Amino acid sequence: MSTSAESRGVARGHLPGDLAMWFFILAELSVFAILILAFAVTQALKPQLFGESRQLLNTSTGLAMTLSLLTAGLFAALAQEQVRRSRSRHGAVLLLAALLAGSVYVVLKLTEYRHLLASGLGMEHNTFFTLYWILTGFHFLHVLLGMVILGWLAERCRRGLYNAVNRSGFESGVLYWHMVDLIWVVLFPLVYVLN
Amino acid sequence: MSASRLLLVCWAALATLSVCTVVLSQVGATWLLSIAILLVAVGKAWLIADGFMEMRHAPRLWRRLMVSWALVLAAVVGLTLLSIG
Repeated sequence: MSTSAESRGVARGHLPGDLAMWFFILAELSVFAILILAFAVTQALKPQLFGESRQLLNTSTGLAMTLSLLTAGLFAALAQEQVRRSRSRHGAVLLLAALLAGSVYVVLKLTEYRHLLASGLGMEHNTFFTLYWILTGFHFLHVLLGMVILGWLAERCRRGLYNAVNRSGFESGVLYWHMVDLIWVVLFPLVYVLN
Repeated sequence: MSASRLLLVCWAALATLSVCTVVLSQVGATWLLSIAILLVAVGKAWLIADGFMEMRHAPRLWRRLMVSWALVLAAVVGLTLLSIG
């Protein structure tokens, strides 16, 4: 993947954002790795229960949620490109588009949660749904926090507080959103697809 | 390739691979398909890390850490499902 990165100030060997954010991301990824492994081990021990319970989830909804999160990630990354060119107003507009795409995920997830609860498939229904609620609920909270961060970044962009030189905070916020995407692309096949 | 175009290519690849995941799951439920689904997930994680998070420009250690997270996790999940199951 070779780009014109060097020409817009992203030198080789450069770590985007703040170093503290990267340690935070590593910590978050470790926590999710433990939860994902717990899910996989339990599935291996109870394959029939997990197979039957998974049939009650809608894979198409899962796919739509995936696409909305990835689209939000695209807009956030494009906004970062604009900030690096000191076009922070353009960045604000792209972040609002990212928020809109992220909102689609929130609506779909809440609809799915409501449908499951109405069908009596709450946390105490069986082991699959206990882990489903813990894993997806924890991720959902991260999405909500990510949206608050994107909204905050959009407001600061609108006020022109970020530019090609002062952008570390912006990059850290956008990285958080990408981390949420990264976790979801592993979580989605495990919870919705993998039998 | 410009950075914005690269991001669009990454997104298109991610969307295509996401559809592939669902298509693979509807073909059947064999261990081979499960491995294929996990490999697709690793590919998507690599696209996010190298494309969206720009790990392709990052120091080697950080890049390896980020890319290997999904790789190691998928390998352990795959082995768990195959061995215990």
